[in-house]
Amino acid sequence: MIVATVAALLALPLVVLRRRTLAAYLAVDAATWLFAWLLWRRFPSFDPYLGGVALAVLKVTTFSLFLARGRDVRWSANHAAAVAAIVYAVVIPTTLRTAVIDGDEPFYLLVTESLVHDGDLDLANQYRTLDQSETGRKDLVPQLGDPTGPNGEQYSRHEPFLPLLLVPGYALAGLHGAIATVALFGVLLIRSTVRWMEDEGISEEASRAVFPFFAFAPPVLFYATRIWPEVPAAFFFVEALRGARAHRLKRWLPALFGLVLLKLRFVLVAIGVVATMLAGRRASRRTIALAIAVVAAPLFVMWLVSGSPTSVHTWREILPGEPRRYAIGFFGLLADGMSGIAFRAPFYLLGLFALTQWKATPRGFRAGMLASLLYILYLLPRMEWFGGWAPPLRYLVFLMPVLALGAASVWDRISRGAIALISAWTVGLVIHGIAYPWRLFHISNGENPIGEWLSHAYRADFSRLFPSFIRENSAAWIGAAVVVLIVLAGVRRWKLDLAIPLASLALAAGFSYARQPASHVEFEDAHVVREGGELYPQVYQVMRVAYRGGYVLETGESLSFLAGAGTWRLEAITGLGATFELAGHAYTIAPDERYQAVRVTIPESGRVTLRCLSGAVNLDRMARNE
Amino acid sequence: MRLLSWIVSAALSAYACHLAVQHATPIDAALPAIAVAVTVLAAVSYPSVMLAVPLLILAEIAIPDEGLRLALFGVVVGAGAVVALVRVGGGSHRSHSSHTSHSSHGTNGTYGTNGTYGTHFAALALTITLITLLRWIPFAGMRRTPEVLLLALCLGIVLVLGRTPFAVAVAVGTALFTPAIPRSTLWLPVSVLFVVALARFFGMPRLRLTWPSAVTIAFVTLFFPWSGIVARAFPYFLKPAPVVGERHTVGYALAANRTAEIEVPEHAKAIIVSGANVAGFKRGKLLGRIEPGGIDVRIGDAADWGYLRREAFHGSRNPLPRDPVGKIRGYGYGAWVDGAGRIALPENTRVIRVTGDPALPPGSSLQVEAFELTPR
Repeated sequence: MIVATVAALLALPLVVLRRRTLAAYLAVDAATWLFAWLLWRRFPSFDPYLGGVALAVLKVTTFSLFLARGRDVRWSANHAAAVAAIVYAVVIPTTLRTAVIDGDEPFYLLVTESLVHDGDLDLANQYRTLDQSETGRKDLVPQLGDPTGPNGEQYSRHEPFLPLLLVPGYALAGLHGAIATVALFGVLLIRSTVRWMEDEGISEEASRAVFPFFAFAPPVLFYATRIWPEVPAAFFFVEALRGARAHRLKRWLPALFGLVLLKLRFVLVAIGVVATMLAGRRASRRTIALAIAVVAAPLFVMWLVSGSPTSVHTWREILPGEPRRYAIGFFGLLADGMSGIAFRAPFYLLGLFALTQWKATPRGFRAGMLASLLYILYLLPRMEWFGGWAPPLRYLVFLMPVLALGAASVWDRISRGAIALISAWTVGLVIHGIAYPWRLFHISNGENPIGEWLSHAYRADFSRLFPSFIRENSAAWIGAAVVVLIVLAGVRRWKLDLAIPLASLALAAGFSYARQPASHVEFEDAHVVREGGELYPQVYQVMRVAYRGGYVLETGESLSFLAGAGTWRLEAITGLGATFELAGHAYTIAPDERYQAVRVTIPESGRVTLRCLSGAVNLDRMARNE
Repeated sequence: MRLLSWIVSAALSAYACHLAVQHATPIDAALPAIAVAVTVLAAVSYPSVMLAVPLLILAEIAIPDEGLRLALFGVVVGAGAVVALVRVGGGSHRSHSSHTSHSSHGTNGTYGTNGTYGTHFAALALTITLITLLRWIPFAGMRRTPEVLLLALCLGIVLVLGRTPFAVAVAVGTALFTPAIPRSTLWLPVSVLFVVALARFFGMPRLRLTWPSAVTIAFVTLFFPWSGIVARAFPYFLKPAPVVGERHTVGYALAANRTAEIEVPEHAKAIIVSGANVAGFKRGKLLGRIEPGGIDVRIGDAADWGYLRREAFHGSRNPLPRDPVGKIRGYGYGAWVDGAGRIALPENTRVIRVTGDPALPPGSSLQVEAFELTPR
């Protein structure tokens, strides 16, 4: 693995850098190897795996800097694809080394295995023989609501097109081959996107600068190296938009078919593409017929597979929801600490900034954004707008090439300080995601990896500083407002560029504030120190987001946390009744089927202990009375 | 406007670092000053170098381990220093896009178009910044008069050598290797200035040597939280970190002809020794002998315990022990390592007899500090 990584890092510059730029890069490369070696000798106890991943990512970052700003660079869509292929080829075995496939991935692979071994879509025998499966998951059971057949057939709720695409790769190299197939789509996506940028008149400098943020950063990097339909969908979407732009039926039609067959939800995108294509033009009968066929095809396929054209979905899902749900979904996708663009893929804030420069953006960007509107409107009010048990921004991956195009189109109008900050944050996300790939999946409890980590380290509630729309917190709407402000003005290039000092100040001030006792305590959160007890509901509960989370204590078990002096409202539920002690006072809760509120007093700010003296109680949260 | 922008940046960054300080070392306490230094580096090179400030804050917040945290400070500041130095060299790698940093008046311009100061001031500002980082932090131990004099001499070197990266590297290296205690050691920068002035007078070209200079500066700034050790115990940071096992303290000081018989504890594989009042000895000078095995303990196996202290270094002739296991003490230019060395014991030894060499002068001794135990 180390040899392959080193070889890849050496190959990258040889693909695109030339003459003086190549020489300068190689000098920097040699120097960084030297200093990394020195540091490794000085700190032998530092986690070598994390160190190795960090070094490799920093080297790719250095390469990206030379690629973006170098004078002697050979650049084309094919060069971009070659560079992406090299990086993905290293990332796949690296992430597989430490994590198994998760979320929907093993189910897609099971379907692939069924196609390869049995030639059918019935997974009943696959579930019976999981020890022979390449998924490496012996704990798999059919997902809730998966279709079944009259003779005990067990089908997957997932569309079979992605498994069908994975068949050749899987037949050649099993799990690795299947993921390599997705990565191949990733490479094609990169190539198509760079070519699209050329078509749309983006300068080569902007294209080179944007490329690493798109190809080597979340979410594309993490979806291109795992088994999800999102990256192939993004490729088909770009191809459809390019085909539509050039009025090339042979390009947009198969691309749209590919898109809608991957996931039923992409029918909404296909409708958008067709609508933007036809807008302002008189459609021929043939085009209309083809458009109807595109929309009908996945319904027909799903009807064949599951007996219902919408599979596990219902038509009611696309009916408008209550306005508040739209707001939560919209600002959540924008600013949520666990799943929002600002925290998980900040580069795409620049794409959103491009929206504010609508008239200056290329036609392809405008068409892409308009084409995805219907889909986004459908996504926003959904309970799992954040993507459920998946790496962040799952439902928006297909849109990322469009946002990247937008970012490239306004590249010269963006603050250099903002770009530097976004780069640093992105580098951190990539290191974290590659070194700890299982952490890309996060329990939907309103926290996020960095908030949890700091909360653990300092035993204080850092998560409350990160906006959460999954479990709305007090930072949610303030954070959303700040992110909107950043998109509107913060990333814009000003004469007085104070982006970095202001971000530094925000970071330090936030840190100081977070160490103070909070006025709201969620007992399931990472900052709470526990002696016994258990999480409710359990981590892998399906649709956990729909539950009131909490922490269950039985007699003798306790937890402690920071809290300010004053009277608080504690919410809990107990079927047995319970007596607990908090900060020297004892309280009793009578048994009840509903959640109850108890008024409690904390005499002095600081760390307090809550101990269950008798019975059992599910503690939800505690909020200070103003 | 430009100046105002940098002043505001420096003030905001310093205040942010002040808020972030969590740990008690003088280097952590000096984070606001380091932020100002970073702002200067950014002002003379690329504004994006300011990114070092949030990275310093993150390191302060996220890394409790002192050594690792301070080393990360070094990595961040070192990277900024190298970028600034390469910029001083005219930037071997510049873009031709509209937002690049070409100086408006060529390489000797006053301002760069990206809002930075041109190379006219850059080399001098960079030298002052680096010397400040390497010698003045922690501020508590700083002696103003010799330091200011030394700084002036180093700036003279930079000017004479033509404000190139090589000039900065020579000046910074000179500052680093000048203890300034006693003040007579200031002859070193004076000599360097004299030599380079002569060399320039007799036609030495204006050397840039950007990359070798960058590597040199990177190395010294990488370890700036312990710059005293870089200066006075140069190979120390090129060696692997000593893997120090659990120690069983002994605490003998053996003058000439004095012998101690010491029982070797179970699992002891090595003995830790140093010298007292032997700083003037050259490499190879005998300090004593260990029996059984007839192991001679010489300068080179161990050194004077405090010979790397800034105050003592000028009169010292000891080299760094071959297997140094001294503890790092102090910070910044005041940092030093004690002169303890590790000597392997013969297998299955139950008792050792250590004798101070008969030629040790009065007041000098061989110190048997401890046995090192291997993990059980």
